Amino acid sequence: MIIRAEHLTKQFKSLRRKDGVVGTLANLFSREYDLKDAVKDVSFELEAGELVGYIGPNGAGKSTTIKMLTGILVPSAGSCTVDGVVPWLDRKGNARQIGVVFGQRTQLYWDLPLIESFRLLRAIYGIPHDRYEQNLKAFTDLLDLDEFIRTPVRQLSLGQRMRGDFAAAMLHEPKVVFLDEPTIGLDVVAKEAIREFIARTNRTRGTTYVLTTHDLNDVEKLCDRIIIIDHGSKLYDGSIDAIKERYGGKRVLTADLTVACADIEVRLPGTTVVSREGHRITIEFDRSRVRADELIVELSRTCELKDVTIAEPELEAIIRQIYQSGLEPLTAGATT
Amino acid sequence: MRLEAYVEFAKRAFSREGTYRFQVFSRVGSVLLRVFLLATLWTNLYRANGEQAGIPLHSMLTYVVLALLLDIVYGVNGAYVVREKIREGTIAIDFMRPISVPLYVFSDTLGQTGFALLQCVPALVLSAFLVHLDGPPSVLAFVAFVAAVAIGFVVNYFIDMIMATMTFWTMEIFGIQIMVQFIASLLSGSLVPLYFFPQGAIQQILLNSPFATLYNVPLSIWIGKIEPAQYAAALGLQLFWATVFGSFAVWLWSVGERKVVIQGG
Repeated sequence: MIIRAEHLTKQFKSLRRKDGVVGTLANLFSREYDLKDAVKDVSFELEAGELVGYIGPNGAGKSTTIKMLTGILVPSAGSCTVDGVVPWLDRKGNARQIGVVFGQRTQLYWDLPLIESFRLLRAIYGIPHDRYEQNLKAFTDLLDLDEFIRTPVRQLSLGQRMRGDFAAAMLHEPKVVFLDEPTIGLDVVAKEAIREFIARTNRTRGTTYVLTTHDLNDVEKLCDRIIIIDHGSKLYDGSIDAIKERYGGKRVLTADLTVACADIEVRLPGTTVVSREGHRITIEFDRSRVRADELIVELSRTCELKDVTIAEPELEAIIRQIYQSGLEPLTAGATT
Repeated sequence: MRLEAYVEFAKRAFSREGTYRFQVFSRVGSVLLRVFLLATLWTNLYRANGEQAGIPLHSMLTYVVLALLLDIVYGVNGAYVVREKIREGTIAIDFMRPISVPLYVFSDTLGQTGFALLQCVPALVLSAFLVHLDGPPSVLAFVAFVAAVAIGFVVNYFIDMIMATMTFWTMEIFGIQIMVQFIASLLSGSLVPLYFFPQGAIQQILLNSPFATLYNVPLSIWIGKIEPAQYAAALGLQLFWATVFGSFAVWLWSVGERKVVIQGG
C-alpha cells in the first residue's frame, strides 16, 4: 500500500467579517473566528500502481486532502502516510518521492527554455546523470517535446506547456503523482495525448496517480476506481462500473415521431417524460422496472416512430445526481 | 542540503538579470546622474563651509560614489519574490519541492547581486571621469572593504527576508518597507556619513547600529576613517549583527512556515 489516509480531518479558522463602515473598523480590533471542516474523517488506502480519480464539487475538500498528502498542510486530526513517510513531518523527504501537476499553474520557469527547467529540476532532485538522460529521452519521445524543448516556456501553447509540466513532474521518477485538473483548457488532441501519457506511465512505470478533476471524461477513460467527496466527507469509494450499476440504472430514450408529441402520454411504471419538443420526446426509464422494447411498443401504439435512440447515462449525470442529492442515497453502500 | 541546486539557482538568476538590457543601461545612467548631482552639492557645501567632520572633500566625493555603487548591490532585494509567492499562494509549489525556500531565495539574490556587481564596473569607471576618486589606502584595506561589503550583503538579505516573511501575517508590508528603507538610508551612512551626526553618544550608537554595517563600515574602511587596527572590531560588529538578524530571520521564517502549514496560508 502506498497511500494510507486515516480519519483525515482539517479544520480551518476563518475570520468572521463584519459589514459596513463600523464593522470594518471593528474588524481591526476584535477578531472572531468561524471554524469550518474542510475535510472530515476521510479514510482510504491506495495500492501502488493504482490510478484513482479523486472527485467532488468545488470546495469539497479535494485540494485540502492533496495538500495534506503533499505535506504542505498539517491535519487537525487523523493521519496519512505516503509510502511510509508522514508528509508534514518530513516535507522534503516526501517531496522527493512525489510529483505534482497543476493544470492551472505551471511549475516550469516562465522565462527559461523548457530544457533549462529540466536541468534545474535535475539539480533540485539530485537525479543521477544517466537516469536523467534516460528519462528525458523517454518523455521527449512520449510527449513529442523535441520541437519546442528550447523555446521559453512563456511562448508555449497551453498543450505544449502541459506536456512540459508532465515531463518536469516525472523526471525524478516519483512513486506517486498528484494531478490537479491536468487537462483543463486543452483541445481534444492535447487531452488525448496527456491521457495516453498518464495511462502509459501508469502501466509501464507503475506510477501511482491521484487524479483530481472536474472533467469526468478523464476519470472515465483513465480510472478504474473513484473516490467522491463532498462537504469534506467521503461519499463513495469504489469502481466506476459499480457506481454506474448502482446509481445509473436509468436510461434515456429519445424518439422522433411523425406527429407533434404534445399530448402523448406514457403510462408505464418507472418512466418519466423529461421533455417534449416538437416531434421529439425524451423519456427516462428505470431499466429494472421496464424494458426498452416494452416502452417502444407502448409508444408505437399511439404514434409512428421515425427514429429512436437509447443512451446510457454518462458518469457525469450520475455524479451530478450524487452532488445534488448529497449523502442520502449513498449511505446504503458507500464502500466496496 | 544539495549544494548543486543552489549553485544552479544563483546561475539562473544571474543569466535572467542579463536579459533585461534596458535596466542595465538605465541603472548605470542613473548612478552617473546622481554622482554628478551629489558631487556638485558636496563640492559647494565644502566650498561654503570648509572641511567637515574630519573628512576632506576628495574622501567625501569617493564616499559618495562608492555609496551609490553599494546602492546597486544592496538594492537587489531578491526576497521580494517571496512576498509575491506568499500573496499569490504559489509558495505552496516551493514547499512541494525538496528545497529550503530561504536558501533558494538567498542563492537567487546572490546570482542577481553578482550581475549587479558587474554593472558597478562601468559605473565606477565612468564616475572616475566625472569626479576625482581615491583608491583604497592599502591592499589590506581593499580586502577588508570587500569582506565588509560581503557581510553587509548578508545583513541586507536578512533584513529584506525578515520584511518579506512578515507577508505571512500582514499580506501587505509596503508601509513597513518604506519606513525601514527611510530609516536605513539615514542611519546606514548611505546619504550622509555617520560622522556628520552630533559627536558623543548619538554618533556612537549610530556607528554601532545594524544599519551601519551596510554602508558605514565598508566605506569608512575605504576612505581611511576606520584604520587597520580597527578592522577586526569593525568586521566583528558586522558579524555580530549578521548573526542576530540571521537568527531572527530563520526563526521568523520557521514560524511563518508553520503558520501556513497549520492554517493553510
